[in-house]
Amino acid sequence: MSLPNISKEKQLPEGCIVDSPTTEQDHMTTGGWRVLRSVIDYGKCTKCKTCWISCPDAAIKVDENGDVNINLKYCKGCGICASVCPVGAIARIPELDFEDVSVYRELPF
Amino acid sequence: MMKGKKKFIAGTAAVAEAAMLANVDVISAYPIRPYTGLMVDLSKKVADGKLDAEFVHADSEHSQLSIVHGASASGARTMTGSAGVGVTYAFETYSPISGGRCPVQMVVADRTLDPPGDFGSEHSDVLCARDQGWIMGWAETPQEAFDNTLIYYRLGEDQRVSLPQFNCQDGYFVSHIPGEVVVPEKSQVAEFLPPYKLAKPLDPRKPYGHGPQIFSDQGPALQLQRAIVMNQAKEIIPEVLSDFNKVFGRKYDSYIENYNPNDADVCLFVNGAHSQTVRYAIANLKAQGVNVALCRIRFVRPWATEEIAEVLSQYKAVGVVETNNSFGVAGQAGVFTPEVAATLYSLPENKRPMLMSFMAGLSGEVIRLNDIYFMAKKLVQAADRKKIEKPVYWIGFEEN
Amino acid sequence: MADSKTTSQVKEVTIWASGVIQDAEGRDTVNCIAAAASKEGKYVQAFDNYIDLPDRVNVPVRKYARISSEEIQEKYLYENEHPNMVVVVEPSLIKGFNILRGMLKGGMLVVNTGKEPEELLKFLPNKELLAAVATIDASKVAEALVDDFMDIEGAAAGVLGRGIGAALAGAVAKVSGYFGLESLKEVVQNTDAAEKGFNNVKIKIL
Repeated sequence: MSLPNISKEKQLPEGCIVDSPTTEQDHMTTGGWRVLRSVIDYGKCTKCKTCWISCPDAAIKVDENGDVNINLKYCKGCGICASVCPVGAIARIPELDFEDVSVYRELPF
Repeated sequence: MMKGKKKFIAGTAAVAEAAMLANVDVISAYPIRPYTGLMVDLSKKVADGKLDAEFVHADSEHSQLSIVHGASASGARTMTGSAGVGVTYAFETYSPISGGRCPVQMVVADRTLDPPGDFGSEHSDVLCARDQGWIMGWAETPQEAFDNTLIYYRLGEDQRVSLPQFNCQDGYFVSHIPGEVVVPEKSQVAEFLPPYKLAKPLDPRKPYGHGPQIFSDQGPALQLQRAIVMNQAKEIIPEVLSDFNKVFGRKYDSYIENYNPNDADVCLFVNGAHSQTVRYAIANLKAQGVNVALCRIRFVRPWATEEIAEVLSQYKAVGVVETNNSFGVAGQAGVFTPEVAATLYSLPENKRPMLMSFMAGLSGEVIRLNDIYFMAKKLVQAADRKKIEKPVYWIGFEEN
Repeated sequence: MADSKTTSQVKEVTIWASGVIQDAEGRDTVNCIAAAASKEGKYVQAFDNYIDLPDRVNVPVRKYARISSEEIQEKYLYENEHPNMVVVVEPSLIKGFNILRGMLKGGMLVVNTGKEPEELLKFLPNKELLAAVATIDASKVAEALVDDFMDIEGAAAGVLGRGIGAALAGAVAKVSGYFGLESLKEVVQNTDAAEKGFNNVKIKIL
């Protein structure tokens, strides 16, 4: 007795063994979770990199000039960077005060 | 007779209420979705003093079962539970507990076995333990989950039986979606369920030995003894259910529920929560002139072969709905098809209905009304043509 | 066979909330809605989304309520596929997620915020689906419950409507008309919040 075919839309890889990301997981952008956005005042920032090392999601990047940038695609707004910054250069501002949208997902996952 | 409070609660909370009224003595807990809510609820009841029980947080499912094995053998009424891969983790303990005749109750909220991680309900997790000598049955609604808890304690702890029980319900469908549950009073429960009394409890003052080493020629008598006891359980089920009806006013069929309001000559053989949707489908299909019945199995173990055969013999075609997997099994469907086939084989050839299988609801997928209409139409077609089109259908993958 | 949505009269209410912090309130809201509608003789269901892993702070979680004048036939669905009404307890969620997903034209949106309904429209790319947008500042009329972890994973619900859930249910009653304020006040504990939610909600018809 033969079994039915699996259509293309329903097919999953054999054994459900999937590709794994190396740096960023594009399917799991978590920026939508954010209630308060962390904003860095570069006038006060001393480039000490404490925020970069403290971010639990590694959502802060250091660029070639030594400046830190928050990756708004993933930042969940936990506020750890703002609380560890030794000079108070990071402010937490309600996300709805900003018109730009960093992440827009059809589904939560 | 229907005294008691009406509550709008889910399956796991219903079982917790029943456990409280049954005055469970030892509970061993280990979290796994979707049955965790049961242990959360029980832990709060114990902490608030509503239930006087020993709540042990085990370090794995295997430990959970070992803890209740010891507790039950010492004379305590026990409850534990698990889901999905947790049930298979504890596998080693199932035969010792049933062979040692300890009436442990294990509450399982079904979950698909890995891989990959999937919380949806599939019956395979418990069904793969069907050979281990435990009483096993599924609840369709939270009310039945509540009732089954009490019924299984009474049945399993009966001195003539003394067997452990799997009190199963579909994960999410029954365990998380609330339904109406009539919670009776403590006096009613005390009338139905006597306190647990073990014949030979572990006690240092009068020692007993569990599980000694024996020789091969002694073994067959022990295995036959276990088979006799399981058959005993089957014999006293009607008595237990009739007592239940007298005390609580709710009637349940003993082995298989035969729901045939439109005098159909084909039926769907279903286990668990999806029977709810089938009942509505039966009413809707009548308007289209398609008549189908529902045969819902109430006790998977002990399987009452003669009684089930008698119920199924009145139909021309039986469609077994399989929400489980048994890869490579005879019949190439799931677990219930060979069991139903063996049941039907006990009938004389001229009274034997045709048999088809539908793989549906796998991985916890919803079985929609349209799927049931498809199954019913295939059954009616087979009955009209007096032969089946094909033995196994995979719902969702068939071409029409 | 006809689509069960078009032939049935099931009204679907979907609540979006923030994980852990608003999990209990989200569930409380659907329980209040279901209990109030049930008092009026409707058939109801109220449950959590099963796929959201809710034990993470701020993760979006969804709760569902279904109301129908006839018996609900497909009881075992995982989500509200075509919500008639969406309630957002944490307003920032409207920016990051398609909260109106599956809604058919003519639906309603209620957001828990002090802002005016007009201010939210710029964040909704599919606002043409909506017939009305409403806002209610529920935290002004009730204290939000945070520490009630009893209701997780299907465990039994406690007392209904102690916190902002009652206010949000009141707003739902006003905007949708699926049940009345009097029925709601019979089932919740904080009847003051329910009434304020009903009276203070600001509605903008689109």
